[in-house]
Amino acid sequence: MQPILTMQEVSKSFGHVEALKNVSLDIYPGEILGLLGDNGAGKSTLIKIISGVYRADQGKFTYQGDEVHLASPSEAQRIGIATVYQDLSLVDTRPVANNIFLGREPRRWRFLLNRKKMEKDAAEILERLKIRLPSVSVDVEVLSGGQRQAVAIARAIAQGGSVLLLDEPWAALGVEQTHQVRDLMKDLRSHGVAMILITHDLSDILSITDKIAILRHGRLVAFLNSKETSVNEIIGWITGALKASTQEALPA
Amino acid sequence: MIKSTVTQEEVQALAQAAPKKDGRIRTFLKRQYNWNIIGLFITLIVVMVIFSIASPYFMTIKNWLNIGQAISIRGIIAIGMTIVLITGGLDLSIAAVAAVTGMAAASLIKADVSGGSSALLALVLAGGLGAINGAIIVRFRINPIIATLGTLLLFRGLAYVVSAGNNIVIGVNTWSFLGRGFLVGIPVSLIVYLVLLVLAYLFLRYTITGNYIYAIGGNSEACRNSGIKVDRLRFWIYVFVAMLSGIAGLILMSQAGTATPIALSGAELDIIAAVLLGGISLSGGRGSLLGTFLGSLLIGVINNGLILTQVQIYWQMVARGVLLIIAVTLDSFRRGGGYR
Repeated sequence: MQPILTMQEVSKSFGHVEALKNVSLDIYPGEILGLLGDNGAGKSTLIKIISGVYRADQGKFTYQGDEVHLASPSEAQRIGIATVYQDLSLVDTRPVANNIFLGREPRRWRFLLNRKKMEKDAAEILERLKIRLPSVSVDVEVLSGGQRQAVAIARAIAQGGSVLLLDEPWAALGVEQTHQVRDLMKDLRSHGVAMILITHDLSDILSITDKIAILRHGRLVAFLNSKETSVNEIIGWITGALKASTQEALPA
Repeated sequence: MIKSTVTQEEVQALAQAAPKKDGRIRTFLKRQYNWNIIGLFITLIVVMVIFSIASPYFMTIKNWLNIGQAISIRGIIAIGMTIVLITGGLDLSIAAVAAVTGMAAASLIKADVSGGSSALLALVLAGGLGAINGAIIVRFRINPIIATLGTLLLFRGLAYVVSAGNNIVIGVNTWSFLGRGFLVGIPVSLIVYLVLLVLAYLFLRYTITGNYIYAIGGNSEACRNSGIKVDRLRFWIYVFVAMLSGIAGLILMSQAGTATPIALSGAELDIIAAVLLGGISLSGGRGSLLGTFLGSLLIGVINNGLILTQVQIYWQMVARGVLLIIAVTLDSFRRGGGYR
């Protein structure tokens, strides 16, 4: 199978600070890649490069086999890379359907909003993703944290995302809601959506992800198969206790 | 951040208890904002009952046309203020824009430019003043309150500069139709107001752009991330709103037969009060022109009723203040939160 997104030797500096050094990654359709690392390891920089917010100083991107240059978030979104932001970035005061289609509303006569179609399509998408909400016409602000996160993800999918970037998707959620979001992610995976997950939460990381990439000081220090690693090994790589040359010397 | 009296469980319970039936009414009542409309409506009826008992003249068609004419000028500006507030902005300069527009049009008429051309040029000028507001806010990223406080002084100053502080008298002529004329028995200014109100209402409710105006006020960052051209839209809203004020300025000038640099001085605060009374939130993203209309109408009715019942005119201002405080306080209580 061909990777949906590849990065080759991507680097990015801010002034004298090298935030990313020669990072290469492949991600395949239907795969959840965990992107781990300590604060300042370069996770956010990498995500922002993939989502088009920053431009890489060096390196090459290919999307579905074609080389792409991501100049802006809307350009990344157009080709199918959608970001589910940490602060949710939903419009609280607007209904669910309006949020799902924000910026891509179905139109009538070019400048009129086709509310009926929008609500129908929104309901369909939610049903397909097995997201249960009271109604697509309630304002987002009355929803629970988990439901809001689900709406944010539904939006990314509705906008044609085939690669989702999820930045701490359950940082503000309770146990039950976290499970809802995880189930949704697993469901999306079975639909062939690729996901890059940034998280600090190592519990269940092995069961939710397929692969794990670990950044340290801007370098990709480990690229692990979730089935063949352990939380201890991951922590070792994140903290630097494990180094490429000493890996065998330490218990996994 | 999430202020709501309706908990998620309640919403779910509602949704399960009444899957499809009377969903519309429930959805209507679930919106915080709609309670404000209901409250305004009830208040309006109570006030009307009181005044019709107090004055036999109050409930006549002629008096209601008077009320309509009286609220139309500020009402037109309130339409613009509502739209700006929904985007999460504010425009303190719009009353001054109306004054400058009136002065400019009067100067042109004095210089023997035709009425139509004068009006058109004056409106273009108003749009230009709005563009200054928009540019300062969008380009230089200045808080709208501060930016338009600055342009309020600037524009008001310009209104004085036009004629060295003097009024420009144009007298009664074909121009007066706009401010004093009647069409099928209805004041022209009221017709202009109602037409603009309905158009703006439909625009906000049914167009993509109207939809974005609400979305920007709710979360401008989310809109940017979704590819909505937030800054461009904001800029054009300030232009549009200034042109609405320009229309109000022209009507006022026509009505008075005179353009004066002090026209609508201080009215910006009254207009903001009417809009807030209508349930528009200062933080943006909510409200509708229906609320603004009811707010404007309530103030108009109270002003009118106090005149008819021969209460000293300065009580009008007291009444507006009290009304606004009661309205926002009730609203704050109902939300179970408020200023901390």
